[in-house]
Amino acid sequence: MIQRLKSLNKPLLLVAAVIAVIGSIFIPSITSSYMLRVLNITMISYLCVLSVYVLLGMCGQNSFAQAGLWGVGSYITANVMMKLGFPTLIAFAASTLGTALFAFVLGFAFFRLRQYYFTFASVGLMAILSGLFMNWKEVTGGAMGISDVPDFSIGGFIANTESSMYFVIIIVCVIVSLLMKVLFKSALGRSFMAIRDNEMAANCLGVNSLLTKSIAFAISGALCGAAGALYANLTGYLSYQSFTYQQSTMYLVMIMLGGTVSPVGAIIGTFIISLLQEWVRPLQNYMQLIYGVGIMILMIVQPEGIIGGGKALYERYVNRKQARSDIKQSL
Amino acid sequence: MNLQLLISGTTMGIVYGLIAMGMVLIFRSVGVMNFAQGEFLMVGGYFCYTFNQILHLPILVSLLLASLLMGVVGVVFMRTSYWPLRKAQTKAIIVSAMGASIALKEGARLTWGAIPVSVDKVIKGTAKIGTATVQWQYLSIIGISVVLMIFVYILLEKSFIGHIMQATAQDQYMASLVGIPVIVSIGLTFALSAIITGIGGGLLAPLFFLSNTMGAASGAKAFAAIVIGGFGSVPGAIVGGLIVGLVESFGGAYISTTYQLVLIYIVLVIVLMFRPQGIFGERIQEKA
Repeated sequence: MIQRLKSLNKPLLLVAAVIAVIGSIFIPSITSSYMLRVLNITMISYLCVLSVYVLLGMCGQNSFAQAGLWGVGSYITANVMMKLGFPTLIAFAASTLGTALFAFVLGFAFFRLRQYYFTFASVGLMAILSGLFMNWKEVTGGAMGISDVPDFSIGGFIANTESSMYFVIIIVCVIVSLLMKVLFKSALGRSFMAIRDNEMAANCLGVNSLLTKSIAFAISGALCGAAGALYANLTGYLSYQSFTYQQSTMYLVMIMLGGTVSPVGAIIGTFIISLLQEWVRPLQNYMQLIYGVGIMILMIVQPEGIIGGGKALYERYVNRKQARSDIKQSL
Repeated sequence: MNLQLLISGTTMGIVYGLIAMGMVLIFRSVGVMNFAQGEFLMVGGYFCYTFNQILHLPILVSLLLASLLMGVVGVVFMRTSYWPLRKAQTKAIIVSAMGASIALKEGARLTWGAIPVSVDKVIKGTAKIGTATVQWQYLSIIGISVVLMIFVYILLEKSFIGHIMQATAQDQYMASLVGIPVIVSIGLTFALSAIITGIGGGLLAPLFFLSNTMGAASGAKAFAAIVIGGFGSVPGAIVGGLIVGLVESFGGAYISTTYQLVLIYIVLVIVLMFRPQGIFGERIQEKA
């Protein structure tokens, strides 16, 4: 059965991928530059939501510090490019690796605390980071923020328009998504999931849970760092108001909406929430209220998220079909 | 100066203690942290404002009426954002509470407006204690909170309802077997939690203006208080709240006002490093 599904799905998937690639190439030529900016920000959020996926969906650890890590990545890029004058690629690498290292070291300290305690420590980390972003004038520009971060450029190519930045971000997103696939199938990914399902059993099977969880936090840090670097290049202006606790909860809500079982859930959740906010601008005043109530209803109706709900529906359909054919055969 | 800081720190600390106590009650009862507890503080404050400033009732009566309404809010909150999810994963309950927190925040903004408001003080004027001059409001907050805490202690430890609530907290299934209506018992716990936190909001309102975003900051400090005091321990929540309040007031005066929250969380992280179970917490053995 599963074999047949797989052979059926492969060409379909290929066609879908080709359509997606062609579609995404033509998007910049048919949308306004405002809409492109929204799309760019959405894809950057997607990277951050993916970081929550690694940590929560794969490793089962709930962190509220993702927006803080995102901010760390942004400020690293801004400082490396503006104060030290390095080119974009080095700044991008510094952001990604620097944030990963930052997260790894903190993870090594914080993951001595289990479950709830880690979540609280991450709330604390978020509070400390936003305090730093707001007040550390030399590095973050304090309440004024940092303006005029240079554009993204490699060699002669300068991504100074919305659409060129769109291609840069989408390439990064695709590469990262493919890497997620690799991670999911690797031994490391499997040990993440072993910890998620039962930490003690994972320990008994020889998984060093402290180190593994720290690595998960480092990977999520790297994703946030990359997102932060792109964000700094895209907007050119960094303000402490972007990197808040609310933003972290938003990422969590996005992944819960999509479903924590796969990166597809992250895509669905991010796009629904980000684009919804744009489309219902006229209802702005009531938007947040509707949105809050919507989250509650969603959790009540479908706590596994959209992907989980879809999966359950599909399984029911397959089971019914199976049952029907069984009955027919027995007749 | 120091005495003044001590009194204002204790006042704030005892209010954080109230919020933390509300959270701990819910945590002990259903095993999930309530991420919307800070919003109870805000809603309680606004109820108080409605009775006191719009209907012109005396402040003590308003506090009483507001606390009754908060009980209703607690039950509704439990019925909508916890009860349907009691069998789902913990993270679903957390996200649902976050949704409720957004909804409450925005509901308050649409109902009462975004401009900060205030309510009457319980006792007006200032008192002189030694060399320090303090507002009577601070002292009355401490007084009312202590009375409230004693009331909660008696309710939980000495009364039949309290025993029902504790039994449900220990083992829901067992409690239902001996004939305790679990939904009523959990509903009462949520109501009690909302009441104590809501009264805290009404008491704080004259000192700090009420706004629809005040819940998040106080909620974050109450988290810190719970973790410092020891997870799931009621006395721990109060002591943790006091520590947080004192760190905030003394740190604000002697170190830096801009880094107050940072200071609190540095204390939190230090406590977590050396005593992960908190001051009053018991070390929980892991079971396979």
